[in-house]
Amino acid sequence: MSWRRILTHRFFLVPLVVALLVAGWNVYIAFNDGGLIAGEVRDRAGTPVPGATVVFFERNFIYYQEKQRTTTDAHGAYRFDGMQVHVGQLEARTADGRHSERRQLRLWFRAQNAEMAPLVVDAPHG
Amino acid sequence: MRRAPTWPRHAIMVVVSFLMLVPFYWVLKTSLTGENIYAYPPHIIPVDPHLFHYVDVWYLIPFPRYLLNSVIVTTMAICGNLLFNTAAGYALTKQFPGRRWVVLLFLSCMLIPFQATIIPAYLITSWLGVLNSYLGIALPLLSTIICIFIFKASFEAVPRSLIDAARVDGLSEWRIIVRIMLPLSKSAIATNVILTFIWSWNAFLWPLIVIRTSEMQTLPLGLARFLSVMEDTTGALFAFVVMVLVPGLTIFLMAQKEFIRGLTSGATKG
Repeated sequence: MSWRRILTHRFFLVPLVVALLVAGWNVYIAFNDGGLIAGEVRDRAGTPVPGATVVFFERNFIYYQEKQRTTTDAHGAYRFDGMQVHVGQLEARTADGRHSERRQLRLWFRAQNAEMAPLVVDAPHG
Repeated sequence: MRRAPTWPRHAIMVVVSFLMLVPFYWVLKTSLTGENIYAYPPHIIPVDPHLFHYVDVWYLIPFPRYLLNSVIVTTMAICGNLLFNTAAGYALTKQFPGRRWVVLLFLSCMLIPFQATIIPAYLITSWLGVLNSYLGIALPLLSTIICIFIFKASFEAVPRSLIDAARVDGLSEWRIIVRIMLPLSKSAIATNVILTFIWSWNAFLWPLIVIRTSEMQTLPLGLARFLSVMEDTTGALFAFVVMVLVPGLTIFLMAQKEFIRGLTSGATKG
């Protein structure tokens, strides 16, 4: 069998394409796995909420439990670094008892850098 | 003479194909939506499909490890099968005293289910000291009688004069197998590879018995473990099933032509 036939044979081409896709995906992961999760906290009017506490809940096998928390800066922005997770929930809480809905976080791979849509605080903390 | 219309046959085939493919579609759809399988009325079209259940499977259990174990064991089983079945199949094409008895013994062994021989198989594996190892998992599938007969049938179809000519040219028996027999038996090789792949990939009982640590578990055992430790897993469970199925389906689709040819040649010339 000639080299050309071997190289164009489906038993060679299909594994090659799969290997290339896997390699490409891993290269993409290598450049985007900083574990950075960032976003903003705002109120209903769209005003940034400084000093709000943002809690990250990690999913274990059965339920979500708190893993880490941070505080928003003067512009209402927050960020978590080095988060080795691919799924979780985020919730913002303010000192005056307001809180946001829990926002589901689904990532394509563990520690993927993610920019979240703003968390909106509006209801009194129950 | 007027030929009978083909559409009724095609219509029946379409209906049968549909019935065969519906379960696959349902598994795929559920893996994409996570919809409860008891939901009523069920959605035929996936509602809000996504691939995150596959990501869950990848990370919530050591899926890459299970996959690697399955790949290693299956590769060993395929290599062993090709080596031992080729040799055995070639030997059975020769005339030697007791050949009929050997064939009879092989055929009678096929009647005994594996479950009946599992204790002796375990004891032998233990005696060899390969429990909880890749070799131990692959051991029972290193040679299978059906595949020996597939090779035998394929080798018997090779003209005797060709083998005689090779022997006159000074080729040893092994070189006759490698240079003459195997290139003429691609269908048998493909059939061997696919059958061994399917058997090894789906093996559950034997790995369950010989594996003692979670690091050595293969995909079917991982699936059982997944079911036992996870809750609310409809989507992830079906995603796992798809991930286990895909390699086998891919191998079969790639080699189906040779597979069917190998099986039919075995059927007519065995």
